[in-house]
Amino acid sequence: MSYTHRAALIGCLSGLAIIAVAPLFLDVYLTNILIRTLFVAAVVMTVDILWGYTGVLTFGQSAFFGIGAYACGLIFTHYGFGPGWALAALAVALGTAAIVAAAVGWLAFFHGSSPLYSSIITLALPIVLTQIIYSGGSFTGSSSGLSGFPTYYWDLKVWFWIAGGFLVLTTTAGWLLVRSDFGRVLIAIRENEERSAYLGIPVSRIKTMLMVFAGMVASVAGFGYAAFSNVVAPEMAGFQLGTELLIWTALGGRATLLGPVFAAIGIDTISSWLSGAMPFVWKLLTGVAFVLVIVLLPRGLAPLIGALWRKLRPKRVQKIHAIRLSPAPAGRMLHASFGDAPPLCLSQVSRRYGSLQVLRDVNLDAHGTELLGIIGPNGAGKTTLMRCISDGNERTGGAVRVNNVEIARGSPQDIVGLGVGRSFQNTNLFDTLTVGECLQLARYRIDGAKLFDRRETVSLPHPALDILKTTGLDKMLAEETRNLSHGMKRGLELAMVLATEPSVLLLDEPTAGLTRPERMAIGAVLTRLTQEFGLCIMLIEHDLDFVRAICNRVVVLHQGAILMEGTVEEVVASDLVKAAYTGLQKEAVA
Amino acid sequence: MEALALDILTTAAILFVVSTGLMIILGVMKLINFAHGAFLTTGGYIAYLVGAAGLNPWLAVPAAAVLGFLAGLVIERTIIRPLYHRPLDAILATWGLGIVIGQVFALTFGRGVQFAPSPILGTIDVFGNEYSGYRLAMLAVAIVLAVALSALLSFTRFGLNARAVIANEPLARGLGIDSANVRSITFGLGAGLACAAGALITPLLSVDPNMGLPWLVNSFMLVMISGVSFPSLLVASLLLGGSQVLVSTYISPILGGMTIVVLAALILRLKPKGFSRA
Amino acid sequence: MNQELLSVQGLTSGYGTAAVLRNISLGVSKGEIVVLLGKNGMGKSTLLKTIMGFVSPFSGTVSLDGDDVTNIRPHMMARSGVAHTPQEHTLFPDLTVEENLRLGVASNRLFHERLPSLETLFPRMLERLKQRAGTLSGGEQKMLLMSRGLIAQPKLMLIDEVSEGLQPAMVDRMGEVLIRARDELGIAVLLVEQNLDFALSVANRFMVLKLGEIVEQGNVDDVASTQTLSNHLAV
Repeated sequence: MSYTHRAALIGCLSGLAIIAVAPLFLDVYLTNILIRTLFVAAVVMTVDILWGYTGVLTFGQSAFFGIGAYACGLIFTHYGFGPGWALAALAVALGTAAIVAAAVGWLAFFHGSSPLYSSIITLALPIVLTQIIYSGGSFTGSSSGLSGFPTYYWDLKVWFWIAGGFLVLTTTAGWLLVRSDFGRVLIAIRENEERSAYLGIPVSRIKTMLMVFAGMVASVAGFGYAAFSNVVAPEMAGFQLGTELLIWTALGGRATLLGPVFAAIGIDTISSWLSGAMPFVWKLLTGVAFVLVIVLLPRGLAPLIGALWRKLRPKRVQKIHAIRLSPAPAGRMLHASFGDAPPLCLSQVSRRYGSLQVLRDVNLDAHGTELLGIIGPNGAGKTTLMRCISDGNERTGGAVRVNNVEIARGSPQDIVGLGVGRSFQNTNLFDTLTVGECLQLARYRIDGAKLFDRRETVSLPHPALDILKTTGLDKMLAEETRNLSHGMKRGLELAMVLATEPSVLLLDEPTAGLTRPERMAIGAVLTRLTQEFGLCIMLIEHDLDFVRAICNRVVVLHQGAILMEGTVEEVVASDLVKAAYTGLQKEAVA
Repeated sequence: MEALALDILTTAAILFVVSTGLMIILGVMKLINFAHGAFLTTGGYIAYLVGAAGLNPWLAVPAAAVLGFLAGLVIERTIIRPLYHRPLDAILATWGLGIVIGQVFALTFGRGVQFAPSPILGTIDVFGNEYSGYRLAMLAVAIVLAVALSALLSFTRFGLNARAVIANEPLARGLGIDSANVRSITFGLGAGLACAAGALITPLLSVDPNMGLPWLVNSFMLVMISGVSFPSLLVASLLLGGSQVLVSTYISPILGGMTIVVLAALILRLKPKGFSRA
Repeated sequence: MNQELLSVQGLTSGYGTAAVLRNISLGVSKGEIVVLLGKNGMGKSTLLKTIMGFVSPFSGTVSLDGDDVTNIRPHMMARSGVAHTPQEHTLFPDLTVEENLRLGVASNRLFHERLPSLETLFPRMLERLKQRAGTLSGGEQKMLLMSRGLIAQPKLMLIDEVSEGLQPAMVDRMGEVLIRARDELGIAVLLVEQNLDFALSVANRFMVLKLGEIVEQGNVDDVASTQTLSNHLAV
């Protein structure tokens, strides 16, 4: 059993033990309060996974709590009560929550949707839901809700154990999830969604699935609370509760999981306690604390407590998750035969932004084993060309075929699946992930990720292993990427792109900011990739010496159109090209 | 029929007036101000206080505007500016601010509902229909506001600077425009507009500590689908506000309450840029 | 020797962890045009952005008129009399010509005072005040750009690739304007260029930037040193 699993087991068992004995020491009033709080804390835990870990700011998690509560209230009130009905109601709660979450996912998370828009959708959800409840008349009890429906009048202790057990088990599962390989994928989406998509990670699908599971957990919590309290009211699905969940998450410390859970328990209990004595002052104080924490302590209170804990406790060696490299089975990149069709084929590709035509009817074939250089003055449309190849929604006209498949309106991750790997001009990697984790991330499309566990190996195709060895990164797998030098980041970036096993490689200024020896090393790697592994590489580069040293063929872009193509020598000798660069004959060229 | 048309027009006018403050802040600062609802509430209480003091009800609007502007300057400086590079956190901070403002009102005035006197009482005869004079006045206010804001943006140096910052902030800075200052004034303006709008709508409704909340959500939706353009905000207010009135009249007032939210969410899903630059 | 208006000492700058410029030192005096030559991607634009304060240098200093202005915010740099015309996204295409020009000066009063001074340099701009800048032709946009810089009556102009994409006649015109600005108004100019002929026709001194370092510099009159220049700039 791994360290993480052992820790989870110990935590889970001690949590259950505390829950088991706690009711013996609590009075009735506090037990009553805590049952609600424990159910709500489980919902807060899902908010932290969605927002803290994955970066989806959701205002609407209360809606799922409400769905669960109303499934219970409605069925027990109107249809029947008993073990069978209770199970049916739970199934309805889970099913409705899943369907609603999937619909929200469809609305909120499509490729290119802004985080702001997604948040607004999650904000609309509880508002729409409460309006529906209001409009339900006597069926939903409208604004006063439903109460007095039959339920199990078990002893308070029993309800406490149910609520506490539910919280401990779901939190343990959540804890394992965020520490698993899949948890790294979530963090990667939070840190750099676009880059994740270009590594072939199906960002929208993952967010939607996460929404569905989080919604289901929240609906069970709502169901449990309604069955316990015998009351359902529109506020349980409301926007106010939704934002309170966020506040507790922020105060506890986002992306710490336990922080928000304890913050929810602490603050909700105290506020229930104090709300009798000084209701508005207490809410005012939490509001002020919330603003202060957001402005001054973006990571919440948990890191402070964590630091204190570490100070008081004897030092212990930080357990670092070690990752080993292993060669991947020979993939398609080693056998670049796709019939007669060239791996990359562009016909009449155009891109316009409003009235501005950035690319105009670009026709271009790139072949296997070819290193094709794209050069041209600034603003010629070079990066736009790469974007049009790697995202089906970019071009406004023409067609792109990759390995003889039309990319149509495919999203970046679809196109990665077709065999296109793209590197970016600036190296913004995933700062808080280690080198090894970044590499695992790049293999997500092919190898998947374990949901509740960590892999100890990452299997990479040979060229990627080569690069890691040349740059010395293979010795630094446990290093966080933000500590790497610029040259190493470039190397890692290239290794990550190669890990997706592309047959077409698009590189946007792969040597920018590198020293001469580093450039030469990259050049040698690229040459090997084409000659030994049969890759087709398309490269944007300003440094013509570099292009001359490695490229078989050069295409000159000027004002969005292909001005000329040929060998480096031919292009350099061309007056047309000189003119384009110095700009003396714009009109003649156009 | 005419009454329905008047309902649609005046509802659109109210929505427009209520949304402008949010839009101007989103446009220049790329920030959704979640305290917008609380600013509306503030305006509402100012209207109530002016009424309670026995002053001319019209005074409430300028008083709310000035107070809102000054408060906006202070808030921008202390809360918004440190979060400029953390936009989602800025949203949360404004939401927290909204809670604080709401609780301050709850502590001061209680949770109950208060009323503000209307500056225009009675009805006016329009095409043979008796119609609320104050609602009609809102129509005039919306038109004046649309013209005034367009003029501010088109003909003043501040408007020019603001448009330059919206279009290309680095270039504007390179030309000597202090974009931090532009943002600060913009937030003040947005807050002032929101408070004034709150003071304007209160005579039609009532004020309580959570009064702004339903307006907040509808304003968001309108602003999101309008992009940053006052003409398209007018169009959006008319279309969605009109749908709201129709749904409320013919189907159910409660479903009418969610018409704007649902329609706007669907429009944004199908056309992420909304009505701007169609 | 007179004091340099702009003085850059030991400047190392770039983005994130990548140094694009390494240990650059240069100076520009009043009434002097200095041209910085180099191919794309060699760090020329980064240098201008660092001087303006858009990019924070890793080390080194920038001073203007003897005052240290390293890390100053860009709008303060502009207000101290530096006009920067970047290479891309230089105009507000949705604003009118007049609005673009107004943005070059601090107040409407100054705008009206100085507008007539453009009459002799760019009469065509005065005819098109109400036109949207985005609808101007490429050459007219460059004229507008220069007009906006000159109406600010700056001490120093930082100009990024003004000749790019222009017809020869237009390039000559730009050269004339720059020379008049230097000789008649005493404006110092730091010009970034790829067009060698144009650069040598207007500048007093030149420098060549390659992979973030100054590899060569000299006087334009010095024939021996200019002869090797074309090698550095070969496409």
